[in-house]
Amino acid sequence: MDTTTHSRASRGRSWLGALLMASLGHSPIAHAAVAESDRIAALEQKLDQSLQLIRQLSARVQALEAQPQTAQSPGAAGVRRVAAAPFAPPAAAAPAPAGSAAPPPTLVDTAQRLAQVEQTVNQMAASAGQHAEDTTGMPMHGFADVGVGNHNAQFPQYQGADIAELDFFLTPRLGSRTRALFELNFEVGEDGSLGADLERAQIGYQFSDAATVWLGRFHTPYGYYNTAFHHGQQIATSLRRPRFLEFEDHGGIMPAHTVGGWLTGSERLGDEKLTYDLFIGNSQRVTGGALEMNNPGNTRGSTIIGGNVGMLLSGALDGLKVGVDAFQTRIEDQDLTPSPFTRVRSYGVYAAYDTDTWEDIGEFHVFDNHDLTGGTGSHHSDAGFLQIGYRAGRYTPYARYERGSFQQSDRYFAALRHGESYYRNALGVRLDVDLVSSVKLELAQTHFTDRVVSSYDEALLQYAIRF
Amino acid sequence: MFIASAKLLVAALLTAGCALARAADLYVICNAHVSLSPADVRDLFLGEKQFAGAVKLVPVDNGAAQTMFLGKVLQMNLAKYSTTWTKKSFRDGLNPPLVAGSDAEALAMVKRTPGACSYVTTLAGVDVVVVSKQ
Repeated sequence: MDTTTHSRASRGRSWLGALLMASLGHSPIAHAAVAESDRIAALEQKLDQSLQLIRQLSARVQALEAQPQTAQSPGAAGVRRVAAAPFAPPAAAAPAPAGSAAPPPTLVDTAQRLAQVEQTVNQMAASAGQHAEDTTGMPMHGFADVGVGNHNAQFPQYQGADIAELDFFLTPRLGSRTRALFELNFEVGEDGSLGADLERAQIGYQFSDAATVWLGRFHTPYGYYNTAFHHGQQIATSLRRPRFLEFEDHGGIMPAHTVGGWLTGSERLGDEKLTYDLFIGNSQRVTGGALEMNNPGNTRGSTIIGGNVGMLLSGALDGLKVGVDAFQTRIEDQDLTPSPFTRVRSYGVYAAYDTDTWEDIGEFHVFDNHDLTGGTGSHHSDAGFLQIGYRAGRYTPYARYERGSFQQSDRYFAALRHGESYYRNALGVRLDVDLVSSVKLELAQTHFTDRVVSSYDEALLQYAIRF
Repeated sequence: MFIASAKLLVAALLTAGCALARAADLYVICNAHVSLSPADVRDLFLGEKQFAGAVKLVPVDNGAAQTMFLGKVLQMNLAKYSTTWTKKSFRDGLNPPLVAGSDAEALAMVKRTPGACSYVTTLAGVDVVVVSKQ
């Protein structure tokens, strides 16, 4: 019985000793050879010394507190307060030897020490903090991607390896309210030539969080995908844009860019957030079977006008954004003589659910177009997509279904090279190689359902980076 | 012996507790002329809030405490923070926060830059506004 009790006590002391050693950051292995009893005794002696020191320091603190003081120590707690009072270092920060009779520091001493500390801080900040004050530079970022597949992801008549694009965007620091954004894109076109596009050139003035006005060329703010990803292929989960949302020179049937003015902002409504966009600009035209943005202006004075209202939800729906959008424009088909005009009117609804686990996006647009010159009347078409992505660590598998049902009696869609109806199924996976690069693999089937009924399968690989 | 062991245990726990408490302190601070609520801190460092009244806000990341700040306040890791800012820059033309290298640098920056806000692990009593303590 006694033996058992002694054994328990011994194990208990060992456990306590190990806990103390671990908490103080010492390695118990290094002291394995020391007799256990000696070790415990030494620790107890240290603890007694520490307790004695604490008692002495407490006595000194009490003595200091008894002196008249005008300075206040900035307390640690508090939700919001101004800590403008001089900092008084705690007495324990400069422990005096046991039994020391050194006089307590005076306020003059404290002020001198404070001045020295402040000077040191300023010197450190001046020497090491230059990069934090760089307000005159030109931050430049960009994206690039290359690929390989049995078809080119944009131009399916090609196969093999391809270079897709190199995209730079510049965000100069101009001041407190003036902002600018320039995006220069180099990409290979359908004819194999390298083209350079000033994708965005916008200069803006920010009145507040709720209102920024931009002038120049910008991403037309319809739906979600066009402004969220655009040329930023590395930040997009999927390997490419939905076909009907492609860029104008890639056969897109919606004006991805507008040259004009854009008012945008957001406002908190409780825990929710309201976003809005209003824009007006040059109407686009059709030339060479593709939309053209009319960068220098247009010759007929037509405009595109539209808006987008979204709501970022919170609570159980945190990460979900829903919204509606609409635009109207007057498109001239310059491939025909005389050039017919079509009033293109689009209404859209979208939802995007973006969390640590999911990235789900859906958009649906209807087109209510009217032939202004040819007498073919009004036409109704629609297009939409649904994409579901699941973030599983470095891998994000995704699936997308998209379709466009475009009336071929509508002069607008008939004039566009890629204005045929279609649907596409795609399965893919994105692998985040590291923070700034990703590899995507996509298998897709595309079916054309009117002009020429046909289909083709794709196996595509893309390597995308950002910098 | 039992009492001595108990004292050892208490001392160890106190030591560990104090160490944890000190390591967990994080103060979000702003220039003295900035009025910002704790609820605005997340929006500020994610580029969603750029003005406090008429004052243009200047968020400053503190590299020495960034991991703690991201975990405690923004509930995200550095990778997600970086990606979030890449998207924000690309979509809205905003630049991510400047980066200070230490508490001292962040404090000095906040003190002398109108509209600046940052976060530190220790307060040195400079003339700043403490928005919140985590």
